[in-house]
Amino acid sequence: MQIIENTKVKEKLFIEKLDNGLTVMIIPKKNTIKKYAIWGTHYGSVMSEFIVPGETDTTKVPDGVAHFLEHKMFEQPNGTNSLDTLTALGVNANAYTTNDHTAYLFECTDNFDEAFAELADYIQHPYFTDENVEKEKGIIGQEIMMYDDAPEWSVYMNAIKAMYSKNPVRIDIAGTVESISHIDKDILYKCYNTFYNLSNMVLVLCGDFEPEQELDKVKEKLLDVKVNGKIKRIYEEEPEGIATKKIEKQMEVSIPLFMIGYKVKKEEENVVKQHIAIEILLNIIAGKSSKLYKKLYEEGLVQSPLDLDFEFAENYSHVLIGGQSNNPEKVLEYLNKEIEEIEEIKQNGLQNEDFERIKKKIYGNYIREYNEVSDISRMFLADYIKGINSFDYLEDFKQVTKEYAEQSLKEIFNENKQVISIVKPK
Amino acid sequence: MRENIIQIKEGIKLHLIKTNKFKTNLLSVFITTPLNRDAVTKNALIPAILRRGTANMKSQDEISKKLEEMYGAEFDCGIEKTGDNQVIKFYLESLNDEFLPQKEELLKTSINILLEIVLNPLIENNAFKEEYLETEKAHLKQLIQGKIDNRDLYALEKCTEKMYEGKLYSLYKYGYEEDLEEITSSDMYEHYKNIINTAKIDIFISGEYDPNEIEETVKGNENILKIVDRIPNNIVNSEATEEKKEIKEPVKIEEKMDVTQGKLVLGTNIKNMKKDERFIASVYNTILGDSANSKLFQNVREKAHLAYTTRSTYVRPKNDIYIRSGIEIQNYDKALSIIYKQLEDMKNGEFTDDDIKNAKQYITSAINSVEEEQDTEITYYLGQELAGTNCSLEEYKHNIEKVTREQIQDVAKRVQINTIYFLRN
Repeated sequence: MQIIENTKVKEKLFIEKLDNGLTVMIIPKKNTIKKYAIWGTHYGSVMSEFIVPGETDTTKVPDGVAHFLEHKMFEQPNGTNSLDTLTALGVNANAYTTNDHTAYLFECTDNFDEAFAELADYIQHPYFTDENVEKEKGIIGQEIMMYDDAPEWSVYMNAIKAMYSKNPVRIDIAGTVESISHIDKDILYKCYNTFYNLSNMVLVLCGDFEPEQELDKVKEKLLDVKVNGKIKRIYEEEPEGIATKKIEKQMEVSIPLFMIGYKVKKEEENVVKQHIAIEILLNIIAGKSSKLYKKLYEEGLVQSPLDLDFEFAENYSHVLIGGQSNNPEKVLEYLNKEIEEIEEIKQNGLQNEDFERIKKKIYGNYIREYNEVSDISRMFLADYIKGINSFDYLEDFKQVTKEYAEQSLKEIFNENKQVISIVKPK
Repeated sequence: MRENIIQIKEGIKLHLIKTNKFKTNLLSVFITTPLNRDAVTKNALIPAILRRGTANMKSQDEISKKLEEMYGAEFDCGIEKTGDNQVIKFYLESLNDEFLPQKEELLKTSINILLEIVLNPLIENNAFKEEYLETEKAHLKQLIQGKIDNRDLYALEKCTEKMYEGKLYSLYKYGYEEDLEEITSSDMYEHYKNIINTAKIDIFISGEYDPNEIEETVKGNENILKIVDRIPNNIVNSEATEEKKEIKEPVKIEEKMDVTQGKLVLGTNIKNMKKDERFIASVYNTILGDSANSKLFQNVREKAHLAYTTRSTYVRPKNDIYIRSGIEIQNYDKALSIIYKQLEDMKNGEFTDDDIKNAKQYITSAINSVEEEQDTEITYYLGQELAGTNCSLEEYKHNIEKVTREQIQDVAKRVQINTIYFLRN
C-alpha cells in the first residue's frame, strides 16, 4: 500500500486502489479500542441523470433514488435485515446519503471481522422486491415529513433554492412523497448496477489495524466483478447568478431562523487552499471575536455564535452564514456594512494580527478533527469523493497568505451573489 | 481504573483522567445544586453571565481572542437537569502540547483560563456588569421561548412536566420567563457567591499530562485558593432517594401545533427500584426500544411502518422510561396499541434469549466505547459521582452480564405508564 504520512498531526494513511477498482484507505490508530469502517459510493442525491457505462442514451430516474437505495440495501434474500444482524453483533451500524455520496458504516469494540463480513455481504448483494420496495415508501414518507417540520432544515434548503435555479442540489436528499412513489425495483437495480460497482466506491478503515494484513482480509470479502467504465453524470447547466435574493417561510418557531448564502465560483485546482482562506475570512468577518458578532450580540440581535460554513461538491460551492435572530434583515445589513469596512481597510490589507490569530485557531481545528476514529473516517471518505486527501488541509495551510485571502474576500463576499433565507414565526 | 479522584477542598473534587488517545485535553467544571423553583432561573443565568467577562478579560471578545490565540481552544458552558439537581457545566478543550507547532504549556494556561472564567468574574460595585446581565436575561428569555423549536424535545419536556406536576423534577432547566424581570445584577452576584461557596464542585481533566504537576497547578491556582470548604447539598441520584410513585390510571394529553408529523411520548415509571436494579432496567429498556433489534423498532417501524424514529430512553436518575415516536396523526391509536402490546409482551416474558444476549452486547459495547470520547468519559464519571457510586467500567459490564431473564421480567411488571402525551395538528 502507498503510505502518506503527516508529521503535524502524527498520523499515517495507507491507500491502495485494488484491481477490482475499489479504493481502500486505512488510517491506523494505536491506543484506541474502537474500530470504524465506512464504505461509500460516489452516488448522491444530485445524480438523477446519467449515462450508464457502455450505453449511449441518458438515464433519468426520480428524485430520491440514492437515499431509497440506502434504506433498501440492508434487506437480505433470506428475510433477515443486516442492520439487525450487525446490531446483534454489538456493533453500531448506520448509513446516510448526502448530495454527492452514500455511505454505509459501523463502529465497534468487538467482532470487527464478523461485522465487516456482513457489511461487505450486504453492500455486494442487493435484494429488492416489489413488496419490500412498496413497504419502504411508508417509512421514507415519515422521514420526509420529519424534515418538513424541522425549521433548521427548511431554512437551509431555502437558502440553497435561492442560490441555485437548476442545480439538483435544490432538491431534498430524500426526494418528495410524490417522486418516491415512482420508484420501483427495476430503477433500484439499474442505479445499483451503475453506481455500486466497486470502481465507483471507496472503503475507509480507522482503528488499531495492521494495514497490510487488514487489506488482505478485505480482499477476501470482495466479489470478483468487472470494472465498469466511467459513469457520465449529467447536470443541467447552472447560471452563474443567483436564483432569487430572498426566500421567506412561516413556521411554528419562537425566533426567526436565517441563513445567508453566497454562491461561490470554486477554484477547481485549488479548492483546499480556497476552503482554508474562506474559513479564515468567515472567522475574521463573523466569528466569535469579530466586531460584527460583538455588535450583534450586544444589540441582542443574535444570542449565539453564527454558524459559518463552506460547502462544495463537484458542481456547486457556496458559503453559508446562519443563526437565529429577531431581526434577520438587520443582521444582513450589519454583515454587508462590516464587509464593506473590511474591504476599505483592505486598501491597507487585512489586519495582520487578526489574520495570524485566526490562522492559529483554524490550525487547531484541523488537528482536532483527528480525535475520534469516526470523525477521521468520515472526513477521509467525504474528502476522497471530492478528490481531496484530507491531509492536504494541514499541508496547504502555509500557502494561504494574507494577500490570497484578500483576493478571495473580494471575489466571494459579493452582494450580487448573496441570498437570504428566513423562517419566521407564524 | 483510569480515574483518579483527589479531594482538593471539602465538597470540591478533582478528577484526573489520564488518556493518550486524543489530540486534545478536555477540562470541565461542574457545579451541582438541588433544583429549586426560586433559584432555577438564576442558576441558568450563571454560565451566561460568567462567559461575558472576567476580572482580567473584561469582555467576551477578549476571551474569544485569547482562546483563538491558544490554537482555537473551545469554551462551552450549559445547564443540565440530572435527577433533582441542576448542574452548571463549563468546558474547555485545547490541543495537547504534543501537537503544537512550537513548545508552549497550553494545558496549564487552559486550566487557569477556565478557572478564571468560573471563579473570577468581572464585578463592578459589588455586582455583575449591568449591561451584560440585561443582554443575558434577554437571551435566556429567548432560549426559554425557544422550547417549541425542537418538537421532539418539546414533546418530551411536556410529558415530563405533566408526570412530575408539583414536584422538583418538573422544573425546566432554563428556568422561567416571569422570574427574569426582577433579577438585578447585585442579586445575581449574591446568588452566584452563595452557589460558588456552597455547591458541590467537580473538576475533570482528561488528557495526556503529568498528574502530579497538574494537581499542583489546580491546587495552587489563586482562584481555587480563594474558595472555601463546603458540605455539598446536592441530591444523590440513588435508588434510595427516589420518591414514591403512586399507582394511577395513565393521563392522556393532546396538544395542537402546526406540525405535519405527530409526536407521541409515553412516560413510564418503574416502581420500587432496589439497589443495583438499574442495570436490569438498562437491559429491559434496550430490549424494549433502545436499539435496531428492539421490540419497538421492529414492530412500530419495520413491521407496521408507522414511524421513521421510535425509541425508548431510560432516565436512570429518576427510573423512568420514555417511549417516543414520530407518527402520522391518524395512526395514533394504531401506534399506541402496538406500543402497549410490546410493554405487555415484556411483562409476559415474551422475549428471546437472543434478545437478552443482544441487549447485553449492545450495552457492553457502549460501555467499551466510553473511553473513546473525552466528553463521554467525563459524563460517565460525573454520573457515578452524582449517584454516589463509584462503579468502574469493568464493574458496570459485570453487572450487566449478571442480569437474568427473571429479573428483566420482574422489572417489566413494575413498569407503569404514567402519562401519554401527543403533539398533533
